[in-house]
Amino acid sequence: MLRSIRTLAAATAALLLATACNSASTGGSPGDGPGSATRGVSATSIKVGGIVSMTTASGYSKKDTDLGARARYDRANAEGGVHGRKIEYLGAEDDGQDPAKNLAAARKLVQQDHVFAVSPMSSVTFTGADFLDQQKVPTIGWGTLPSFCGPAHLYGFNGCLVPMPGGTLNQTWPEGLGAVLGGAKGKSVALIATDNDAGKFGIRTFTRGFTAAGFTVSYAKAVVPAASTPNDWSAYTKEILGSRDGKAPDAVVSVMQTPYNIGLFTALKRAGYRGVISDPTDYDPGLLAKDATRQALDGVHVLLQFQPFESDTPAMKQFKEDIRKAAGGKNVPLNMHMVTGYMSADLFLSLAEKAGKDLSVDSFQQAAASFSDTGTLVGDRALPKGRKESFGCGALVQLKDGRYEVSVPFRCYPPIPFD
Amino acid sequence: MGDLLGFVLSGLVSGALYALLATGLVLSYSASGLFNFAHGATAYLCALAFYELHSGFGWPAVPTALLLVCVVAPGIGWGLDRLMFRKLARVGETAQIVATIGLLVALPAAGLWVVELLADAGAPVLPAENQFGLPGVGPSPAVSWQPLDGVGIDSDQLITWAVTAVAAMALWVLMRHTRLGLRLRAAVDNRGLVELRGISADRLSSVAWMLSSGLAGLAGVLATPLLGLSAHDYTLFLFVSATAAVLGRFVSVPLAFAGGLGLGVLQNLVAGYATFAEGITGFRTAVPFLILFAGLLIRARRGRAAGTATAEAPPVDHLAGTTWARRWAPWLAAAVLLCAAFYTVTTPFWSGILTQGLAISLVFVSFTVVTGLGAMVSLAQATFVTAAALVAGLLMSHGWPFVLALAVGTGVAALLGAVVALPALRLGGRSLALATLALAFLADQVLFQFRWLRNGDTGWEIPRPVIGPLDLGDDRAMGVALVVLCTVTVYALTRLRDSARGRAMLAVRSAPEAALACGVSVVRTKLLLFTVSAGLAGLGGVMYTSYNTRVTATDFTAMTGLIWLAVVVAAGVRRPQYAVVAGLVFALAPHLLAQYVTESAHLPVILFGLAGLALANDPDGYCAAIPLRWHARRQAGRKGPASGSASAYASAQGAEPRPGSGEEPGAGARDGAALRLHGIHAGYGTAPVLHGVDLAVRPGEILALLGPNGAGKSTTCRVAAGLLRPRRGEVWVGGRAASREGPVGRARRGVLLAPEGRGIFPGLTIEENLLLQLSDRDARDAVYDRFEALARRRNVAAGSLSGGEQQLLALAPLLQHPPAVLVADEPSLGLAPRVVDEVFTLLVELRGNGTALLLVEEKAAEVLGIADTVAYLAQGAVSWCGPRAEVETDRLTEAYLGMSQGRRR
Repeated sequence: MLRSIRTLAAATAALLLATACNSASTGGSPGDGPGSATRGVSATSIKVGGIVSMTTASGYSKKDTDLGARARYDRANAEGGVHGRKIEYLGAEDDGQDPAKNLAAARKLVQQDHVFAVSPMSSVTFTGADFLDQQKVPTIGWGTLPSFCGPAHLYGFNGCLVPMPGGTLNQTWPEGLGAVLGGAKGKSVALIATDNDAGKFGIRTFTRGFTAAGFTVSYAKAVVPAASTPNDWSAYTKEILGSRDGKAPDAVVSVMQTPYNIGLFTALKRAGYRGVISDPTDYDPGLLAKDATRQALDGVHVLLQFQPFESDTPAMKQFKEDIRKAAGGKNVPLNMHMVTGYMSADLFLSLAEKAGKDLSVDSFQQAAASFSDTGTLVGDRALPKGRKESFGCGALVQLKDGRYEVSVPFRCYPPIPFD
Repeated sequence: MGDLLGFVLSGLVSGALYALLATGLVLSYSASGLFNFAHGATAYLCALAFYELHSGFGWPAVPTALLLVCVVAPGIGWGLDRLMFRKLARVGETAQIVATIGLLVALPAAGLWVVELLADAGAPVLPAENQFGLPGVGPSPAVSWQPLDGVGIDSDQLITWAVTAVAAMALWVLMRHTRLGLRLRAAVDNRGLVELRGISADRLSSVAWMLSSGLAGLAGVLATPLLGLSAHDYTLFLFVSATAAVLGRFVSVPLAFAGGLGLGVLQNLVAGYATFAEGITGFRTAVPFLILFAGLLIRARRGRAAGTATAEAPPVDHLAGTTWARRWAPWLAAAVLLCAAFYTVTTPFWSGILTQGLAISLVFVSFTVVTGLGAMVSLAQATFVTAAALVAGLLMSHGWPFVLALAVGTGVAALLGAVVALPALRLGGRSLALATLALAFLADQVLFQFRWLRNGDTGWEIPRPVIGPLDLGDDRAMGVALVVLCTVTVYALTRLRDSARGRAMLAVRSAPEAALACGVSVVRTKLLLFTVSAGLAGLGGVMYTSYNTRVTATDFTAMTGLIWLAVVVAAGVRRPQYAVVAGLVFALAPHLLAQYVTESAHLPVILFGLAGLALANDPDGYCAAIPLRWHARRQAGRKGPASGSASAYASAQGAEPRPGSGEEPGAGARDGAALRLHGIHAGYGTAPVLHGVDLAVRPGEILALLGPNGAGKSTTCRVAAGLLRPRRGEVWVGGRAASREGPVGRARRGVLLAPEGRGIFPGLTIEENLLLQLSDRDARDAVYDRFEALARRRNVAAGSLSGGEQQLLALAPLLQHPPAVLVADEPSLGLAPRVVDEVFTLLVELRGNGTALLLVEEKAAEVLGIADTVAYLAQGAVSWCGPRAEVETDRLTEAYLGMSQGRRR
């Protein structure tokens, strides 16, 4: 009996303590109160951090995102910074694709390092999103996660890439493939994805997109086991190759990751398929280093949502030069994660530039409330449009004889409604 | 038809890899009795090494693969066995399951760390991330053929088949046609008896681990083109292949091998023909785990279906008998200090991390119910967390208040817990752990794929609660509220443990049949344990996600649950307050390490894996071990090293203090006795049994040891055979001190124990049983000549013999090579009178060959017929010893009825 009384007393005391102290603790959020200095901004510098998955158990890493961001910030600093302030880039925290670490990284950057902004943020998980938004930390990253679509302080470097019912769909891929096939009218396409919710959603959006572009969708299934790569693809290739009334479709579109694509494409070719094959993930010059991937992906048209490395626009030349400098003068193989980091940094710099000399979260947000420019590596950027939809630009490259060649040049397409 | 053949053929490729992994699992399980969760990690490590050496350093493929499979992988197995598995074989099953979970993450991290170090040192290593289409042993890209229409084969598949077939043949030859294989199988059958035969089971266990790791390495190298360098995929692959090990009941290598092949085919067929399930998102993904779950339910052996922990003695409670305040004051003080710290010293960042730790503590506490109290390992706790949080989020999105959503979420988790408990009614131990793991994967892949429940990748917002004036939006307020919640939970669980229901749980844990006999419902108790635990996990999950302010369906996966279990058990799972410590350590340690120790992301993970090593020494976790060790050291300092309580900790850990040495046994050393026990004191744990036993047996003499039940006869036998180390006193064999030798050393010196029951290997044939002891053919033929019953059935499993035949089989080989000393513990137990005569004739014959016999018998009248000397044991001491001629019936009666007034201490 004595025990319970004591414990209850302790519990009540603790609760009272919490209540009493609570009033003192709220309202002191480390934002930008009037008169007080803006977090992370001094007369000469702006502190910026990043969050990137580098080490993971899955063998998938985005660590070159950090290099890309560093390259862009280095150039900004070499050009004198933003309104006289140098960018103090703290480097990216490694979240290891772990939700708990992602949030902890966001908290560390804000509460311990007192950064003004987080750019880049590129991971498969973004548990830190709500915290960053609530703490009013401008955050720019790869908009493949829904958190980049909506919250006031979060921006995707090429827009929000998650279609929302009631919103719009990016038509880069259907229109691009239509161009490859010489027009979509009367052409049939097979869509395949992994057997999980994300795969199912992907099938739903792309069925809508390809149909709208004029294709006949002859096969659209999210059926491939998602936990591990199948060893045998014959069950799927057989169905796909007979999906257009017993004949093969004009194009096969995979909405899956590289290891799956390697297996599926190899099986399709062995089964004698001669049509167009396309996927959105395999634009990585690193893949050309291996004979097996080079062969599996030969002839495949890969979708990308930035200017291909093969193009020779001034923006791309500048990008290559910046990366080379940041890598210590070495010619490192380029990949899309570098673009993610580079263009996240670039969007931050552009917005900070527009915010003016008096940089604060408010002025930054105001700058982002109506922003647009053209001709960047990700095409024509526009905010606040990009908070709801993708910038809508892209290209297709085809892997031929061990080299990527641009098959559909980079351009921007009008979106269609998604219901 | 071409389709079907194609599905079967390519299914055999995955099947071959499953078979290799499953075989390794069975081998290592047989060696140490533990399910190696890290088996896939070993495979990954070899795949990584193969890639770096072949593609990075440019070494040729085949020699590199051979080096890895034949040298490196077995080396890893040998090292881990020496460091860890050998010790783990002696601790409880929970610690066993958990220790290898640590390795599961530590081994890949160690591999990547080495790559990182090599890269820094300028070695030509390649990055291990984002690598696809890796070359295997064969040509890359693989060459493909189409022998039949619709059936394609490529070189990688062909190599996998061929190599697996060769490995299977080699393994078969090794196990069936070599002496080593025979010994390995004997050790699986009866590890203790192998040691009594003078074969080191530890060495066999090393061999088994080396084989097992070699097979994992082989699977790793073969799977490189398929799985790439994803440690995660290798581990998933391992879980699937566990199905095959289950089919072999973790014992049969051929069954596991066949099971693996069949599993690959079945999986492929389901993928090919499961069009019916297209409406269920995730069904095809979940197929392997459905098969695993079904396999467990069908194949699991009935029997010990309860907890796993009869053998797991609780650690010594050094606070037993002290006051409530003494026990709880430090914890309460820590809680109050923590609350105060939130508002005084900790910075916002550390407040946040501490709060996070407290939130996860609530989840961790749920382990102390199901695993700590119920001794059932649940790997599905993350599922309860996700379910509760998703449901709560869904409800809150419909405007429900936090508290109601929390209650419903907790209720849903509890319900789910009851569902997961259903297999627990049938399964126990490792099978139950795997079943809960399979269910956790099923939930991830099917249940949490429902769009209405998960809300896509967005998940649900779970804002921090505001209750009256209390706004938990502030980390510090949330922290204090969680301290209170943790305190209340710990208190409630401690009360539960001490209540009648808690005692019922402990009863079901250690002896379900006995509990049933006492009127405790086993079914209800197990359901209750799982329900309470799942509810707690759900409650903690909602609080934790409300700390995060959002939940998505992928935040807590089945793998997360695995890591959690390891973290909790490393701290100690027996008391809820230890789980709170575990939560805080889990949240704080990575940041402290990153800030003050190392920048590398791999080192903390490796350190975490080393917790498994610590568990091998302290199976009850560091929270229990640290105060105990400290207490023991303080006691030792106070009373001197010889004091009993100082060694309380050590003896609770199974390490008996060394017997005092330098005690001269008087004239005994050179009196010609083959075996002499001098002043033996021995016992089990804290219970003494023998109080100074003196016995001597000379060559060619039968000493009959008589005495009532509980007098210590079997204990004397165990001391004589080296199975039990005496606390004091000396054992002399042939005039040389032998106290420190274990059973293996004792057997090699010629002291053999024929243990109570039958000293045979029931799973081996008669021929194989004989072969273990008699390597030359003539000797075996001599046995067959004499015992025709054995000769007629030489290829029959020994377990199918009658009791008498089994005893003859155990003793007959001794005639061919008579041992110096035979200690026989009730050799006539349960035998028909005619067989008893035959057994006694055998013993007399042995005496004739010069063997010294120490014979323990209940059948006093018969044994007196052959004994030369008789000793009475009463209450742990020899009360009378003398020639048979001097034995008087009265004395015999006295001895049996325990009325002797002889000397005792």
